[in-house]
Amino acid sequence: MIASDTTIELRHLHRYFGETRAVHDVSFSVRRGQVFGFIGPNGAGKTTSMRILATLDLPTAGEALVDGFSVLEDPDHVRRRLGFMPDYFRTYANVDVREYLDFFARAYGLMGAERQRALRRVMSFTKLDELASKPIDGLSKGMKQRLCLGRSMIHDPTVLILDEPAAGLDPRARIQLREMIRALADDGKTVLVSSHILTELAEMCDTVGIIEQGQLLAVGSVSDIQARSQLRAEVHVEVLEGADGLANWLAQRNDVDKVRLNGARVVFEHDGDRDSEARLLQEMVTAGFRVVAFGSRALSLEDVFLHVTQGRIQ
Amino acid sequence: MTTADGTSLDKAAGVDVAQTTSRRSRLDDLERWLERVGDRLNPILVKETRQALKSKQFTLTFLLLLLCGWGWTFVGASMVGPGIFYGAHGRELFFGYFVVLAFPLCVVVPYGAYRSLAAEREDGTYELLSITTLSPWQIVSGKLGSAVVQMIIYFSAISPCLAFTYMLRGIDVPTIFFALVYAFLTSAGLSALALLLATFTQEKVWQVLLTVFVILGTLLVFWILIIVMLNFVNSTIDFRRWFWLGNAMGLTAYASYFVLVFLAAASQLTFSSGNRSTALRIAMSVQFLLFTAWMAWFWFYEEPGQWPLIFVYLFIGGVNWYVMGAFLTGESSQLSPRVRRRLPQSTLGRILLSWFAPGSGTGYMFVIGNYLTMLLLALFAVVAARLLQIEQPTGPGVPRRLITALPLFAILSASYAIIYLGLERVIVAWLRRRFQVSPLAPLLIQTLILAAACGIPYTIYGLSPANYGNGYSMLQATNAVWTLVDAVDGRSGPEVQFLAVVLPLVALLTVVLNLPSIAREVRLGRLLAPPRVRQEEEDLAGKPLAPLAPVPTNPWGDVPAEPPFDES
Repeated sequence: MIASDTTIELRHLHRYFGETRAVHDVSFSVRRGQVFGFIGPNGAGKTTSMRILATLDLPTAGEALVDGFSVLEDPDHVRRRLGFMPDYFRTYANVDVREYLDFFARAYGLMGAERQRALRRVMSFTKLDELASKPIDGLSKGMKQRLCLGRSMIHDPTVLILDEPAAGLDPRARIQLREMIRALADDGKTVLVSSHILTELAEMCDTVGIIEQGQLLAVGSVSDIQARSQLRAEVHVEVLEGADGLANWLAQRNDVDKVRLNGARVVFEHDGDRDSEARLLQEMVTAGFRVVAFGSRALSLEDVFLHVTQGRIQ
Repeated sequence: MTTADGTSLDKAAGVDVAQTTSRRSRLDDLERWLERVGDRLNPILVKETRQALKSKQFTLTFLLLLLCGWGWTFVGASMVGPGIFYGAHGRELFFGYFVVLAFPLCVVVPYGAYRSLAAEREDGTYELLSITTLSPWQIVSGKLGSAVVQMIIYFSAISPCLAFTYMLRGIDVPTIFFALVYAFLTSAGLSALALLLATFTQEKVWQVLLTVFVILGTLLVFWILIIVMLNFVNSTIDFRRWFWLGNAMGLTAYASYFVLVFLAAASQLTFSSGNRSTALRIAMSVQFLLFTAWMAWFWFYEEPGQWPLIFVYLFIGGVNWYVMGAFLTGESSQLSPRVRRRLPQSTLGRILLSWFAPGSGTGYMFVIGNYLTMLLLALFAVVAARLLQIEQPTGPGVPRRLITALPLFAILSASYAIIYLGLERVIVAWLRRRFQVSPLAPLLIQTLILAAACGIPYTIYGLSPANYGNGYSMLQATNAVWTLVDAVDGRSGPEVQFLAVVLPLVALLTVVLNLPSIAREVRLGRLLAPPRVRQEEEDLAGKPLAPLAPVPTNPWGDVPAEPPFDES
């Protein structure tokens, strides 16, 4: 098969800097139109992997493919369909927003009306229209991030690699950026995004990859990883009376663990999905407990991340 | 309503509107045409011109140039005094303006080109540029084009002053023209060289050293140009045959080295799996052909049969190939699958073209091949001269001993080059297995080999006063410089005669020792491009490409290579 649905693929990627194993045997793939979140602490190997995909660095071993093209052997083909937003913003002196984008549009070979259309599209998408003639030096952090995103998508790439795009942004700018990324994915673009702000990623990513010390610990949707890691949801139950009895009743069950009493509230971990939670509530009521509140806290990406990375590689 | 001349106002207004519309339409056409031309321009040239027009550095340099031009006009005119009305003082004033112009051309523009690329690499903007679809060739030509635009602006700023000097008499148009052409070529050459230097390293320490080197180098060239031009301007150009021949030869050498430097800079910026060598080898071959053509012209037409010409040919050609060989034999022997997709595959193609493919082994054989070609051409020239009866081995100032000295020099110089380069190849290959080898490292290693081979025996010789006055001995067998000087001197003793027999054998042995690894490189067959790449190339070409070539063949009957990875 030549053109498949997989647009990003890493196969046993290794990148060593002397004795340091920046990336060690990392493999995963991302499908078209997906937003893939790359999670990991500083120095985990996220940026190195992304730079290899962006044809800025070379792997020590392994293979990285973008839309079926090897980043090592066919970087020209990869560059045509890839937009990269690095975790830094560097620009040229004495250049305004429009000139900056115009330069990169020309550098990607866009000419005449096509270039003008690309500029209008990108400036409108990133809401930079009003700043067109503003010198870049005078832009705020958020505006620069938007400009950087605009630059990376000026040639309408099918794959976008965004390294810490939300770093240093205020809450409003983060929301805007999140919406932009989601819109790009809805438009069929594949987005690989890294961030320290896990709540951001949780809201926009279809799939996440958790990496630490160069090794990929888990890949999949948050719920997949949760299921694979046998993570349990935390359930809170409040009864009018007989909280002790409920705690004892729960402690005898196999699908419940770590039962704690907190006044009239019983907190415990439940091993099961939403359906089994509903059955459990039904059984409680049938057993005569007067339940006034029942809720389970959905596990956040942070919980999953902490669970997956805890003590695995030290 | 009518006008004074009786025409209707409405009619007049109509004509006016029609004319205005026609003018506007022509202006619009012109603008659209300019827009199309702008689209074709190198993006870096467009961006850097925009930047330069807004930058303080450019404004300051431009203003300083104008101020210096005006200043020199006043100072020069004051120095000449009332004589300016009667005498021919254009020459003196022209030289002053030339100095004013030469400084930005020789120092500011090349340094600006160097910083333009070096700063991009330091600041990280180069990374963003490198992942666009711009080729390294476009990046270098864009930077160079931007330097040329600056030169043109400086030329235009000083041109009224130059016209003024012509009006003062004392200097003719050809002198002004050639002085400006030489200044332009110097500036363009220095800019290309500066760009090449900017590609060598990204490490801060080396960048600082290179910056100092570029500044001192450009200042030195500025100084040399001023001295040369002082003589040029103060002499009358003799537009006879030798002037044009000299200029044509100089231009050939300049153009060939300019292309080499340009291609070297582009190859330095090429992605590591790309082919960084073939274009350079082609340029070297063309340069060698041009040099040979010039020497043949002189040998057969200008100075028929003059033996020193053969010596000049062998010496310049030998040094040139030795330096080029230092770089080529230092290349990596590992060929990426991408490079292997373009390897020649027919038997004849492999025999003739494999030496243009990247690799230290092919590079070594490429240089040896060119050395041998050079020797054969020299031999052919001597035989042809004898057959044509134009041979003049001796003459005024040409000693007869050259007849024996030249074959000795030819054999020994080629042998030394083959041995030294073979040794470098082995050392670099060993280093590559352990460390990352920088592009300049092979040249450094070759310099060390040469220094050790010549310096150690000479030091031993110098340490014992008893040796003084004894002249050449076998101790100096590795010392190429002394051996070759002794051979050229024509009074060489039995030691040099003996070396003329032994060294070719050692050179042959060096080649034989290198042969297994060279054979490994040459045996590499062509790889088929992955189907995804072929599909993309067909899409870009807009038509189906020629079907895949038949099974790759080579003189050793190797089986065809598989694609680098399974596409299914």
